[in-house]
Amino acid sequence: MLSNSLRSGNICKSALLTIMLVVGLTGCAGKIKGPPEPVFFPPAPNPPRIQYLMGIDDSTDIEGVQSNFSFFVFGEQQSDKIKSIKKPYGITTSGSRILVTDIGAATIISIDPAAKTFEFLKGNHSTGKLRKPANMTVDSDGNLYVADVGRKEVVVYDAAGNFSNAFGGSDDMKPVDVAVDGDFLYALDISHNEIKVMERKSGKLLGTIGKGAGEEGVLSLPTNLTVDNAGYIYVTNAGSGKVVKMDRDNHVISTFGKLGDGFGQFGRPRGISVDREGLIYVADAAHQNVQIFDPGGRLLIFFGDPGLTVGSMNLPADVAVTTENLAFFQKLAAPGFILEKVILVTNQFGRDKIGIYGLGRMQGRDGAAGANSKKVETGQQQNTPEKPRTDEKK
Amino acid sequence: MRIKPLVTVFFFSIVFAVSPAWAGSCLTSACHQALAGLKYPHQPVKDEECLACHLQRATVHPIPKGKSFELSAKGAKLCEQCHEVLGKKRVVHPPVKDGDCLSCHNPHGAKGRFLLDNGEDLTTLCLGCHDSAPFKQKFMHGPTAVGACTQCHNPHESGEKWLLKEESRANCLKCHADLAKALKESPVIHSPLKNSHCTSCHNPHGSAVPHVLRKKLPDLCLDCHGGIGKKLTAKTPHKTLQQPGGCIECHQAHYSKAKGLLPSDEKSLCLGCHGSDKLGSPPLRNIKKELDGKKQLHGPIQAGRCSACHDPHGSDYASMLRGAYPTGFYAPYQEGAYDFCLGCHNKEMLRFAETSIYTKFRNGKRNLHFVHIADKRKGRTCLTCHEPHAADGEKLISKEGPPFGAWLIPINFKTTPTGGGCVPGCHRSLKYDRDKPVVYGQEGK
Repeated sequence: MLSNSLRSGNICKSALLTIMLVVGLTGCAGKIKGPPEPVFFPPAPNPPRIQYLMGIDDSTDIEGVQSNFSFFVFGEQQSDKIKSIKKPYGITTSGSRILVTDIGAATIISIDPAAKTFEFLKGNHSTGKLRKPANMTVDSDGNLYVADVGRKEVVVYDAAGNFSNAFGGSDDMKPVDVAVDGDFLYALDISHNEIKVMERKSGKLLGTIGKGAGEEGVLSLPTNLTVDNAGYIYVTNAGSGKVVKMDRDNHVISTFGKLGDGFGQFGRPRGISVDREGLIYVADAAHQNVQIFDPGGRLLIFFGDPGLTVGSMNLPADVAVTTENLAFFQKLAAPGFILEKVILVTNQFGRDKIGIYGLGRMQGRDGAAGANSKKVETGQQQNTPEKPRTDEKK
Repeated sequence: MRIKPLVTVFFFSIVFAVSPAWAGSCLTSACHQALAGLKYPHQPVKDEECLACHLQRATVHPIPKGKSFELSAKGAKLCEQCHEVLGKKRVVHPPVKDGDCLSCHNPHGAKGRFLLDNGEDLTTLCLGCHDSAPFKQKFMHGPTAVGACTQCHNPHESGEKWLLKEESRANCLKCHADLAKALKESPVIHSPLKNSHCTSCHNPHGSAVPHVLRKKLPDLCLDCHGGIGKKLTAKTPHKTLQQPGGCIECHQAHYSKAKGLLPSDEKSLCLGCHGSDKLGSPPLRNIKKELDGKKQLHGPIQAGRCSACHDPHGSDYASMLRGAYPTGFYAPYQEGAYDFCLGCHNKEMLRFAETSIYTKFRNGKRNLHFVHIADKRKGRTCLTCHEPHAADGEKLISKEGPPFGAWLIPINFKTTPTGGGCVPGCHRSLKYDRDKPVVYGQEGK
């Protein structure tokens, strides 16, 4: 009996040690976020054009993970050190930084994957406290403009992240997105289906656009907007399923898309971005994908798709395109897949709150030679941009 | 006795002395006399070493209706007893391959070198087997014309196609040394010369076309540059292409210092014809005169690129323009009608009556380009005010003004920091201001 008791005691000790070791080692292992195999869009046998590169769910995906294993627990836990993304919406880039509005945590997150930094907005307190930041943009001086649906203002922070101003509080608006074009600031007012045009530096209301431009260009539940290099404004409309391209003088230049589930149609169009070549990227929360259109509004490709598989999207909200940090992201690409741009997508649910995809070409396939210098063939002359932008998203 | 060896020697001496195979007796006046008279005898014949090739089978010679000698080996094996063994290279002349040396060579000697009866002109010999048609053309390659086939071809074997002595391009350039030198010094080289063979364009033997080209121009060029062919039948073709020289009127065939194998920079080339007052009846418009001394040049002209606006091969639009542009003085704006100008200039410029973006020619937001061109009754074309190539006034507006029938309409255009104005022959003096719009009818009040 005694020996049995001793034996069972030894077994218990061994089991306890094993459990501790397993738990400890599991803590050491961290999360595996990268795909075991490259995920390409479109799938084989088509020539790959877009590769899912990585996902970001919290600060450990950027800063790495320290060991959780400890026989004694003192003070701050690892879980306390992890900075998470609760419910992201807007995304943009500023230099090498990725900026994300976390509408769930009421803050802005600044992420630099190459520098391995994951930080919250410094000025998000007292008069600069955000309530429901939907989208944001950065001007050429590094100032950050946040469309806050809760405050019903555009909240401005300087390049260091300190609160500097708030615009539009008296203009009766519910800004869901904001964009900068030179000295002009555009605030997308979903409550009035229009765009408030303001002086960028003072916030003075100069006028409104989006109404009176004819039935074709009527804004209907506009959710996001962006400005391209030539100064044209693109607005996604959840009400009509249209992307409306317009200018500052309230002229509708063109529209494309409609509500539906066909190619080039939209269920709930949200974030929009235009790259340097004029390609238009639209995130759709219903189709759970991003569709890419040429400057004439012709669908070129879509990627993402719903589900929980690697590279899928879950309630995508916004999309941004950048050519910054290409060398860093190239390391994540499959051998031979040469990146030309990086596409960033926010997901409000799912495994990746931020999905990062690379647009490029596989060497030796589909005219990949000289791909980087290839111009977009639109069949139309592209007007020379009035000025180069450092920020491709808004 | 020592007499026995002496008898033996004597016996053999007699045998050799009377034998016909003793060379000294083959080329006598009585036998094989013709061989002695050959200008270029085969070396064994010259040395009277007949037994180098022939073996005596019978002691009696000649034998009526019989042979007392036979060759010491058959076919090429006989020749290979002295000569190098041939047929080891990639390409072998069929007679060599078959060991049939005598199909070309005379074994004892010939009137010409190399045991060939034809001397230096090999035409008859080679055309004994080869098709003679390419060698009877109006224009002949020099070596072909004089039958110097072996100048380019090795008659026995070669590592190169067509029994060429060297790689095709090098084979040509070893004679065309001036071309070889120029190619080394030229930045732009016609791609066949870099990546292919001279024979892509030239027939190496002869042709009915000058420069032994495979086809007449421009057909030869269009075999590769097919897209240009469509432009030759365009509504407005470039007449130069219809000249006998065709493409060569503007392009160099082999090399050039300028892009597009042009003999000089593009602008100089164009003005060579469009600046002389000598070509055409009436003479071509003298663009050189229009440009000389002008302060303002249209952007493409500044860059020396006439082809930015004009398609040098031809187009379906007037003046070989690259896009649509109205031909009359009045042409109200319609979508597509001004695509040529709006290909570079902001394409929304003529679309909206009001703008703060697409033009500086506005009074406040009132788009004055729209006022002038989109007028539904009498929309004026761009050339009403602007010169296409050069002008002495701002915005390519000339001081003389555009022709309007027999009159040159003065425009007298001037700009200010925020606007401008003109005193034209079209209407009264009018000004415009982008920041503080002029209220017309109340100026000066």
